[in-house]
Amino acid sequence: MIMIFRSFVLALVVYGIAITASAQLAFNPRDETPEEFPSGAGRDETFYACTACHGFKLVAQQGMSRQRWDDTLTWMTEKQGMPELESEERKIILDYLESTFSPKAPAGRSAPNPFLKQ
Amino acid sequence: MIECIKNYWEGSVANKIERSIAELYSDDPECADAAVFGRKTNVDRRGFLSGAGLAAMGAAVGGAIPFAQNMPGGLIPAALAQGQPATPAAGPAAKPEPKTVYLSFPGKNDKLVVIGEKPLVAETPEFLLDDDTTPISKFYIRNNGQIPDTAKEPDKWKISIDGEVNKPLELTLGEIKAKFKSQTRRMVLECGGNGRSFFTPPASGNQWTNGGAGCAEWTGVRLGEVLKLAGVKPSGIYTAHYGSDLHLSGDASKPTLSRGVRMPKAMDPDSMIVWAMNGEPLPNIHGGPVRLIYPGWAGSASHKWVTKITVRDKEHDGPGMTGTSYRLTIKPMVPGDKADPKNFKILESMPVRSIITSPAHGTKIAAGTRELKLRGAAWAGDLAVNKVDISVDFGSTWTQTQLSKPKNRFDWQRFTASVKVPADGYYEIWTRATDSRGSMQPHVAPFWNPSGYGGNPMHRVAVLIG
Repeated sequence: MIMIFRSFVLALVVYGIAITASAQLAFNPRDETPEEFPSGAGRDETFYACTACHGFKLVAQQGMSRQRWDDTLTWMTEKQGMPELESEERKIILDYLESTFSPKAPAGRSAPNPFLKQ
Repeated sequence: MIECIKNYWEGSVANKIERSIAELYSDDPECADAAVFGRKTNVDRRGFLSGAGLAAMGAAVGGAIPFAQNMPGGLIPAALAQGQPATPAAGPAAKPEPKTVYLSFPGKNDKLVVIGEKPLVAETPEFLLDDDTTPISKFYIRNNGQIPDTAKEPDKWKISIDGEVNKPLELTLGEIKAKFKSQTRRMVLECGGNGRSFFTPPASGNQWTNGGAGCAEWTGVRLGEVLKLAGVKPSGIYTAHYGSDLHLSGDASKPTLSRGVRMPKAMDPDSMIVWAMNGEPLPNIHGGPVRLIYPGWAGSASHKWVTKITVRDKEHDGPGMTGTSYRLTIKPMVPGDKADPKNFKILESMPVRSIITSPAHGTKIAAGTRELKLRGAAWAGDLAVNKVDISVDFGSTWTQTQLSKPKNRFDWQRFTASVKVPADGYYEIWTRATDSRGSMQPHVAPFWNPSGYGGNPMHRVAVLIG
């Protein structure tokens, strides 16, 4: 069991691939799609609510509690011009954010081990 | 089976959650040690690796660990922690996310790492900061709003000064160049959130490692001279900056960001209105044709595409000045807890920081090498750096580096060192700088705050000899 577990963890450690976008003359943000991000109920609603203004990568690199996500949505509506969310939609979005981008799962910046090659 | 491992394992399977090694360590570092490497923490808190455990950790990092007996218990080896290697590991991806996205932008080095595309934010991996003066191609990018079009006639760009002044001004860049004496200074510009990714639990915002900083030659005029021409009234105690970049929502009535500084900082002879970077016209992506530079302070004060400076009779309250934005705690708070808005003060000078710029994280070094030659840079906001120490044995012993003098105030200080190693294997090079008031970089990001400012733990670089 322990050995299986170790292999499982090590497999997770080595994921990650580099993507080099092709050269271009001016910068156009890449079009993101909801499918690039962790699946779950409410993913698409969350994706479209956030990407009306900013990239979803900004969301996906966070790891916050429901309370802090809730505060962030309040800040977005009060200070950043986000349209007010209806309570049902807000709940759907918070459920997704809480379950997917919690403090325990900081997705954003982990790097592959430079010394392990497959 | 150890109870904590069993719970962790079964929880992962039951919930079909793929969990990372970093997560495991943040849950319970000592359990993680036992689970992943069979490492047990000694009473002196240094990890004890032997037999299978030592081999397992060696396998995980890719080589034997000569100083394994010094490794603190629960420490994630730098090779497995975040940090951008010069050459990413090859091999099939077990999972599509997260992946490093490299910047593709005209005139920019393609090893800059994209943190976000909208707004465009990209950081410079430490190994790219190996030049004495950071080339424009390697300089980090931070935007808060949409990127404006390049100004067609830079010298006709207008900047107004109003508010608590005797004589409100509107000057073109051409007039500013003609009226005031210009100066060139090599100075660090650093994003306020630099180092944010080192906080546990994660702090909100762009997850910078150490790459939200660079040191360029800035040419311009003293902001203080321009303010003096307008005549700041005794009531004028704070600045408020405005630029031409559009808010991400597209709402033109909403400033993207509007920060300011106390009047003494605005009057500092090194606070400038600048139009050239490394001798070239200031590029649009860095706020050209003209921006502010407040060296040593959070970069957001150094407004890009600046159009207006309003002198105020109170602390500025624009976007980026309130709540927990660009603020540190007054009294330490519980990490992850709800913030008390009254317990925050504005982030001004940036904290002391040092980075190793060579070798790069993830460098393989020839077998038999017994001496490592290192280079790096250190800076400390408004202060100077007094010394930089490095360790290759997980902090058991430290070697003081050769530290250069700054070219001028706010320049970074380059350092070099040469250190002996006893055998082939896996090493981590740690660096810690001490500023001129005696503050030293801590082991972990200190004084947690919700938006993650002041994250300046020691930089760690993993290398493999043989």
